Amino acid sequence: MPTESLPKSLKTFHDIGFEEIEHTADCALHIFGNNLPELLTNAAIGMTSLIAFEPSSIPDDTERHVELEAMDAESLLVEWLSELAYWAETEMLIFHRFELYNVTPNHLQAVIHGGHASGLKKHIKAVTYHNLEVIETEKGLEVTVVFDI
Amino acid sequence: MISNHDFKQINKYLYEIPKTFRADMRVPARFYADPELLKAIQGDRSLEQLVNTATLPGIVKYALAMPDIHQGYGFPIGGVVATQLPDGIISPGGVGYDINCGVRLLATQMEKEEVTPYLDDLASALYANCPSGVGKGGHIKLQPGELDVLVEKGANWALKRGYATESDLEHTEENGCLEGADSGKVSDRAKIRGKNQVGTLGAGNHFIEIDTVDRIYDEPAAQQMGIFPSQITVQIHCGSRGFGHQICSDYVKRFQKAIHQYGITLPDRELVCAPLSSPEGKDYLAAMKAAANYAFANRQVLTYLIRRSFEQVLAGKVKNHHLYQIYDIAHNMAKIEEHEVDGRRIKVCVHRKGATRAFGPGSPVLPGIYRDIGQPVLVPGSMGTASWVLVGTKESMTQTFGSICHGAGRVMSRSKAKKIVRGTKLREELEKKGIHVRAGSMPGLAEEAPMAYKDVDRVIQVVHGAGIAKKVARLIPLAVIKG
Repeated sequence: MPTESLPKSLKTFHDIGFEEIEHTADCALHIFGNNLPELLTNAAIGMTSLIAFEPSSIPDDTERHVELEAMDAESLLVEWLSELAYWAETEMLIFHRFELYNVTPNHLQAVIHGGHASGLKKHIKAVTYHNLEVIETEKGLEVTVVFDI
Repeated sequence: MISNHDFKQINKYLYEIPKTFRADMRVPARFYADPELLKAIQGDRSLEQLVNTATLPGIVKYALAMPDIHQGYGFPIGGVVATQLPDGIISPGGVGYDINCGVRLLATQMEKEEVTPYLDDLASALYANCPSGVGKGGHIKLQPGELDVLVEKGANWALKRGYATESDLEHTEENGCLEGADSGKVSDRAKIRGKNQVGTLGAGNHFIEIDTVDRIYDEPAAQQMGIFPSQITVQIHCGSRGFGHQICSDYVKRFQKAIHQYGITLPDRELVCAPLSSPEGKDYLAAMKAAANYAFANRQVLTYLIRRSFEQVLAGKVKNHHLYQIYDIAHNMAKIEEHEVDGRRIKVCVHRKGATRAFGPGSPVLPGIYRDIGQPVLVPGSMGTASWVLVGTKESMTQTFGSICHGAGRVMSRSKAKKIVRGTKLREELEKKGIHVRAGSMPGLAEEAPMAYKDVDRVIQVVHGAGIAKKVARLIPLAVIKG
């Protein structure tokens, strides 16, 4: 859920970039974006809010270059979030600033900025494809992502 | 939403959603419940998920769900699906990300009264010695290439390294090693995630728990297992850590492309699958087995660390503090087994997603000492509540491909549990009940509050009443260690 301490998600037609929704066993985010780069950015910020205790206190001293290929927008979203979950688990690296380039449903390039955390609030085991569908509405894009935790 | 008139009651504890309910169902869907659990099941989308699994190519008899069923992703948690070889499918999502998440039960010759004065020290020693929590690495340093050996040999690797006894392996499902594991089918990322996590508990609902035997229900079976009233036992609940999570992610991604090649259409992309006979299916099975072996080795190293903790605290104070293994079972796994379908024995791939193998008496794959009583089945309850030891029955072989439930089953989301329960207050309440708690995260503790789960005793009564398992012993907790 967005709070004062979070990196600001990009404001969308829905006023917020994402919201946490109820799921019996795991956790899920409903994510919004005016376009695909915004949707991906808000998804990343949303995931950071799940895993970091105080995203605002994480240093901004590390960057990574990311390039991903995928078969469609949904797979791209899973790949993108899985990338961030991987760095969080293996190096306690949390990212809070995302510059995305050349985004298509099959491709993205990004420079992501963040730093090392001393601990994580939640462990994301995986990003699932459960009922995953990027829905195009008159106002923009939305998607619900379920995480295995 | 699936309502009461969409299913029929077969008997007191069994319900069926007929194949006619949805055009894409290949078989009926069956689930075990009592009226109270049925209400809980209808509180989320688990039955819809169960119906989705009934559409999988090659599925035989029924899509099944145990009384602890709750909403997962793709498969419901508590789901069992058997697909016929050679062309039936295998689904990575039908195993889950935590491949071979499972439960191990260790026992001692000590009784509760002897250990009570040392429980707090034991809880502290276990918390200090058994790495737990998000992102925590283990104490085990693997040599270059050793992870490849570990994932192909499973608990045998631990035996060679001095972390196991021969007896531990004899009392583990598959002797702690699935044949056919191939580290060559595992990505570098999975190996990076796995290399520092051997002998770690992780977070979430994983735990180590010291219990005492509250009541015996089946004296001969209990005796055969070495279980007696007031006995001190220890449970471990964890799986294959980041290694297994990454393998599942890798193959769910790879299979997204493969399904088009095999002409498979699915109601949910997380159900993605490939024929067992396909290159994708074979590769996944070999990689899944590697993760299963990682989990066996992981629980084995934790066993070693638990033994050391008991030694540290109890040596010179209490006799007979040695821990021996009752059994170790998986509850997220796909296994090739032989079962009777339509009057003939055929090879099937049994997916158990949050369900436990529960083979009946006489099964040749059981260790000799358990062959006459049936396979021990270990079902942990929610934190602070009872856990159960059961045995599989002949009925489990005919009704459920030799499977029963894996736990109590959640009824409340983690976010809601955190809103209602404060971790510090919950810890105080548990301590008041005499349960010693060590936890890395108070919000994490709140997520696992007993009120977020079904009543495990009720769940067990359903599998016992349905005849698919037999109660042997009920355990109650004395100390809980969580990440």
